[in-house]
Amino acid sequence: MSTVRSMPVSERERPPGSAPGGGGPSVDVSYINAFVEAVGHVFETMLGVHPKRNALKVGATAPDGLRLTSLIGITGKVHGCVALSFPPDTAFRLAGKMLGAELTSANAEVIDAISELVNIVAGSAKAKFNTDPPLQLGLPTVVEGTSYRVKYPSKSVWLQVPFSSDAGDFVMEVTYSRNGG
Amino acid sequence: MKALVVDDSLTIRRIVIKALGLVGITEATEAGDGQAALNAMAQGSFDLILLDWNMPRMNGIDTLRALRQAGHQTPVIMVTTEAEKSRVIEAIKTGANEYLIKPFSPDQLAAKVKNFLPAAAK
Repeated sequence: MSTVRSMPVSERERPPGSAPGGGGPSVDVSYINAFVEAVGHVFETMLGVHPKRNALKVGATAPDGLRLTSLIGITGKVHGCVALSFPPDTAFRLAGKMLGAELTSANAEVIDAISELVNIVAGSAKAKFNTDPPLQLGLPTVVEGTSYRVKYPSKSVWLQVPFSSDAGDFVMEVTYSRNGG
Repeated sequence: MKALVVDDSLTIRRIVIKALGLVGITEATEAGDGQAALNAMAQGSFDLILLDWNMPRMNGIDTLRALRQAGHQTPVIMVTTEAEKSRVIEAIKTGANEYLIKPFSPDQLAAKVKNFLPAAAK
């Protein structure tokens, strides 16, 4: 089951530097579960891939090597950004599974496929926030490059959730905060 | 049976078209946004429309509204990430006939589409 493999994050796992009331930026780690569960559900339903969540990290780092990162903004009573960052081979494998084709370069099909992945993950997660009116998603964007960091104009911090899977490793990065408090 | 598949994602259009094949629908026209869908409707007739919600230029709910206001009665299945109850109600009130939340499996889509095959009406 996705909830087992993509095990929800507990308060005990709060990464260093994310504690509330510590004077610095804070984040409620309970919100991250909506995104973790969404990754499990989306990858299993659409790709037949079973992602396993690894230890949470805080802050946006710049992984070595070429990466393809798809990201999407969320606005409304909660606002933030969700990013899925893949090594190219993982992106090719996942896109190939979605499209039923063998893909070996970062072409338009791969870009479209990983854009749609982050779109569906964010959409699936936002429903769990159950706000009225519903949160709104932007249109996804893909960045390709080496050693870059994604930044977001917010006091909140990035949480990094690394996943391993039979299609390769990837990282979800999420930052969010509630509007008006 | 002819289907119009409306989604800004090429990937989703391909997945939907493949799933339509599971129920014998092999004739599908693609549109990348609501405006393109309205253009396609002006040029031809379709038996079923599969419609995304979040798209550039014209979103799915505005497209659906425009179709119904123009008198088109073609069945519409919304295929979308918009999973909130209020969104589903809004779509049904606007004239959607079915609603499928992404992510979906090909079998889930095929099951929704079966309701609109000619045999299902008999």
